[in-house]
Parts: sequence; structure tokens; C-alpha cells
Amino acid sequence: MIEILKVIFSNLKFIVISVIIFLIMMFSLLLISEFIFLEPYFVTHIPSGSELGFILITALSGLSALVISMNLFRIINLKNSKHKMSGSIFGTFIGSAAGACSCGPIGFAVISTFGTVGATTTAFLTNYEIPIRIVAIVILIITYFTTIKSLKTECDIPN
Amino acid sequence: MNKKGAILGIIVISIIVGVVASMSSSTNETFDVDMTRTHGSISTAMGSPILGDPLAPVTIVEFGDYQCHQCHNWFVNTKPMIMRDYIETGKVNLVFVDFAFLGRDSPKAAQATYCADDQNKYWEYHSSLYTSQESKIDNGWASSERLKAFAFNLNLDMELFNECLDSEKYSKRVQYNSQQARDNGVRGTPGFFIVDSDYNQTQIGGAQPFSVFQKILDSMI
Repeated sequence: MIEILKVIFSNLKFIVISVIIFLIMMFSLLLISEFIFLEPYFVTHIPSGSELGFILITALSGLSALVISMNLFRIINLKNSKHKMSGSIFGTFIGSAAGACSCGPIGFAVISTFGTVGATTTAFLTNYEIPIRIVAIVILIITYFTTIKSLKTECDIPN
Repeated sequence: MNKKGAILGIIVISIIVGVVASMSSSTNETFDVDMTRTHGSISTAMGSPILGDPLAPVTIVEFGDYQCHQCHNWFVNTKPMIMRDYIETGKVNLVFVDFAFLGRDSPKAAQATYCADDQNKYWEYHSSLYTSQESKIDNGWASSERLKAFAFNLNLDMELFNECLDSEKYSKRVQYNSQQARDNGVRGTPGFFIVDSDYNQTQIGGAQPFSVFQKILDSMI
């Protein structure tokens, strides 16, 4: 496993890609989950009772950065199928959507635009925010291991 | 001719029924508020009673939904410090204006606070809603039965409270407040406007920490 990660991240391009994905994901999710505020001042804070949410966002961002860059490596260098990429994008997307739809601006926009359907969706995503994020993390972990397994075969790396 | 007469009759009866219905609904919704009360660009006439000294130089207008967990976060983490340092010292007062958009139980919960206000227990009821909030929207924690149970726990006159809640006496009041939020560009809850006596106002979006409020309030007092 370590050998494969060394192969991928020996290329500076993939380190940069994963760092950028991590920072964008982390910043966006912290912003929409109201751990970061930009107005009237830039301020960060973790309210008591929200610690688990913060940890899950960090895990989700880290795994997304890792899995997406590994799959980009497969697609760019090995010209392989994009099948596993969809697993990582799906995991990232549902994990992000869970926290977005709450009483903040995104939830308000969804409810204003889609009415009752929007309100039901928002309520579901808010009520099950933590379980949905955990499911997203599980999907990303599964995608990570299947990607490692594929790369072992494709790159012909001994165990 | 008979057909025309019948149609005309139906139209006249419909108009009479409509007028009677609207009159009965408006008599249902008479309540004692100061319609001239404004804070900056916001009409707070239909909002909560003022918490703190009405003559305080600065007012915090909070737009909130009783089912919003970020509003609960602010109520638990930030509001107590604002109460201690600014409201109880007479420097600032606070008005809560409903922005009940999150779920089907949100407007009913907001209406219930005004039913409690009829018995001078607005803020006690407001606090009991936020301290009893459950993390799931529309899971029944703010159903009519539970709203009545909260009123019972505050020793309110249950006959008056139930009649008020069941008749939806304050339905239009809550709608008016939510419209105020939209008209003032509030895009989520909690949303705040801090307004001073010269009508300068600063908007704060979200459950921001005490330090942000402190900085703005200190610059306005």
C-alpha cells in the first residue's frame, strides 16, 4: 500500500492536486457548515456540540483528496477506466450535500426554489447529516482500497 | 333568463360568503401591537416584546426559526454572554423576529410564542422552545401537542393558550415577520441586524461567536 502511495505522490503534480482538493473541500464545507464566517469579519469557531461534525468534515476532505488524486493518476498515467472515479466523486458529493442543506443560505435557497420538495429534502439532509457523512466516508474508504488493489495489479507492484 | 339569474345568484352569494369569511378571520387576528415600531429598515412591530431596556442605544434584531439547530447553537453559546455583558447592563436590547421557513412545525412554534405572550410569558416560552429543541426537523418535538405541553410546564392558562394556538390567531403575524426577513435580505437563520440610535445597521449572518458581536456592539455604544 505504501509503495503505491509512494509511486503516486513521487510526482509533485499529484501532491499539488491532492492538497488543492483538500483545501477547497475543507474550506467550502467549513464555510457552509458555519465553522468559518467571512462577514463582517473573517472568523473561525467550533461551537460546543459540533466537534464531531468538524472531525467528519476533516476526514471527508482528506479522503476525497487522496482518493480523487489516486484515480486521476490511474486515468492520466495508466489510461484506465473512469469507473472508480465515479465512486470517489459520489462519496464526495453526498458527504458535502449532507451539511450544505441546513438553516443556512443553501438550505434557504433550496426551500425557496423547490418549495415543499425542497423543504423535505433539506429536512432529510439536516436530520441525517452525521449518518450521511459517515456513509460518504465509508464509500470513500471502500473506493480507496479497491483503487489500491487495482493499482497493485496495473502497476505490477509486489505485495 | 333563469340560468342567468341562477349564475348571478351564485356570484352574489359567493361574494357575501367571501366578505363574511374575511371579516371573521380579521376579527380572529386582532391583537395589541405598536405598528410604528421599527429598528433601522426592519419593521419589528409584529416581532417579540423587547428584551432588556427599551431605551438602550443599540438593538439586536434576531431573525430565527425554532427548528434551526444553528439558532439553538447561538442561543446556547453566544446569547448568554450578550445577555450578561450588554442586555442586563442596559447597553443593548434584543428583538426576536420569526423567520419560520424550515419545516411544517416552524410556523406553529412561532405562533405559540405569541399565544404565550398573551399571558406575558413570551421570553420564557421562547427559551423553553430552544432548550427543548431536538436535532431532527419536523420529528414531532414542535407538534401542537408538544407546544401545549411546553405551555403547561410554564403554568399558562391552558384554555386561553389552546384556543389561541388551535385558532391560528397569530398565523398572519408570523407570515408578516417572515416577509420582513425576506424584504431585508436575510438568507438563512439565525440572521442578525445590529441597529444603533442613528439607524446605522450592521448585518450578521449565521450563529457567529460572541467576539464578533462584541466588536460590533462596542463600536456602536
